[in-house]
Amino acid sequence: MRNSISWVLWLITTMAILLATRHPIYLVILLSELLLVGNKIAKYQGISSWAVNNLRFLMTMVLLSTVINAFFTHVGSTIVFRLPENWVLIGGNITLESIIYGLINGLVIGSMYITFNITNLALNTKQITGLIPRAFHPIAMTVTVALTFFPSIQQRAREIKEAQMIRGNPMKHISDWLPLFVPLLVTSLENAFQLSESMTARGFHTKYQPHRQEYALMGLIIATFVIFSAWLLRLYNYPKTTSIILYAIGAFLLIAILYKTSQRTQITRYHQETWGRKDILPSVLLGLIIIGWVMLRIVEQGPDLAYTPYPTFSLPSIQFAGILLSLVPLLPILFIDHD
Amino acid sequence: MKNRIASFSFDLIIFLLGFLSLLSPFFFQQARNPGINSSTFPVIVSIILLLCITLVVFEAQSSHLDTKMIALLGVLVAINSGLRFLENAIPGPAGFSPIFFLIIIVGYFFGSKMGFLIGALTLFVSSLITGGVGPWLPGQMITAGWVGQSSALLAPINTLIRIKDKPIEIIILAIFGALWGLLYGVIMNLWFWPFLAASPQLMWTQTAHLIENIQRYFAYYLATSVIWDITRAIGNFLVITVMGAPVIKIFNRFKKRFSFEHTQRTHS
Repeated sequence: MRNSISWVLWLITTMAILLATRHPIYLVILLSELLLVGNKIAKYQGISSWAVNNLRFLMTMVLLSTVINAFFTHVGSTIVFRLPENWVLIGGNITLESIIYGLINGLVIGSMYITFNITNLALNTKQITGLIPRAFHPIAMTVTVALTFFPSIQQRAREIKEAQMIRGNPMKHISDWLPLFVPLLVTSLENAFQLSESMTARGFHTKYQPHRQEYALMGLIIATFVIFSAWLLRLYNYPKTTSIILYAIGAFLLIAILYKTSQRTQITRYHQETWGRKDILPSVLLGLIIIGWVMLRIVEQGPDLAYTPYPTFSLPSIQFAGILLSLVPLLPILFIDHD
Repeated sequence: MKNRIASFSFDLIIFLLGFLSLLSPFFFQQARNPGINSSTFPVIVSIILLLCITLVVFEAQSSHLDTKMIALLGVLVAINSGLRFLENAIPGPAGFSPIFFLIIIVGYFFGSKMGFLIGALTLFVSSLITGGVGPWLPGQMITAGWVGQSSALLAPINTLIRIKDKPIEIIILAIFGALWGLLYGVIMNLWFWPFLAASPQLMWTQTAHLIENIQRYFAYYLATSVIWDITRAIGNFLVITVMGAPVIKIFNRFKKRFSFEHTQRTHS
């Protein structure tokens, strides 16, 4: 599984499941799978301490979230200890329920972070920038320029810093960084000037049609407002179907405009992404899961992944469908290729 | 002039749309319904913010980005991403980030579109480099974009009160940077507020009025991030005070060089 689209589908599915659940058992299953998938990719890429670093972050998040929730939430019936009522914000009962809720919150946040971390690990920078629609060609070009210049700017910064330190600049205070930043900025702007001249000389960005862009922009504004209205109507308990229809119209409009604008932009891709069997199969599976998930949510069916420890702690119930759904993020482990 | 008013109105509408989405729990009672909203709120708000970024970027690339601006912006984003990389590699005081000074100066000097683009793209490019792409990214991008966009408002004000090229100009920019140091945290916390804070004292209440909910948010803000934001505000103030004037001087020098035009000559 190497294709960026496959990974985006995996990301969407995993995030949808993560955001829908506060169930500690499903979360622990999800988290173990994420660590397995991430560790396998990291191992192939020769990164040794990936799991340890992520576990460290996860522990920090769980600890922070538990402490914040325990000390600021005084809801729940199982009192662990009490703090004086006159202590601002933290005074009151510290309950088992608030500790558990904080812990679950920490697990969700940590899992979300690890999910994105795995996507960052699986996709290289070129693949991520390749995901920018062609309609945003000038912006994608700017991002590419920035990414291309980044290593040379870093190298230049190191050289200037060394030169400054040889001259006795201690580089300790903010004002000591000025002799580094000024030459760095000046030389970089010189580079930008040369680059813009050569881009102009090569005829970059000359086939530009502003009137067509104005229509596209108007369409994008309408699509955004349609999606925003769908959300507002849902907030005010208008029929769900109205919101769903509006969401669909907004999304269709958005995709159609970006597709049409992209068609007008001609670019050359030197390294096309390929679709192997190990990309197609998981993509189809994940696509079907997403469609099924959305359909079930619309008809308000499907496994109940919710759990709350409030008001009195009780053990969470487990559903087979819930376990099955939490196994979905493990899918890439079957399809990961070793370079 | 007509174009300027149209462009300003467009920016204002998109800003209001994004800001209103973030502030919706304060104004819309149903948006405070934790039963239907606490887990989906960050996702929907992130999507709306992403759409707002899309609109501003699309408009800016149609009206502003020629080859000169692409090259200039690309290089400035690379420098600023380097500063963020530095921040990750050598952690300074908690919350301090050196990226805001260049965003503010660029917005102030080159205008609101360039300010927005350097803010949003710095966060995007640096997250690609540091592997920090996540659901928080649209919020970070749009807020950093607003930092640059709003600093453009200072330019006509400073011209009007005749303080351009005087030391007070830098002090005003530094105070502006310090304010944004705090505001950045206040805004960034908004989209995550319902997700993290499950406490009745810290979370919004559906039946409470606006002031009470602001008090609850303020309590949440005090509990989670005020120290970080104060450090960021002080950092912004100091960096702009020290670096602001020389950087503006350099931009002044290069502005003339970057104003070349190319004309197509037709052969008869």
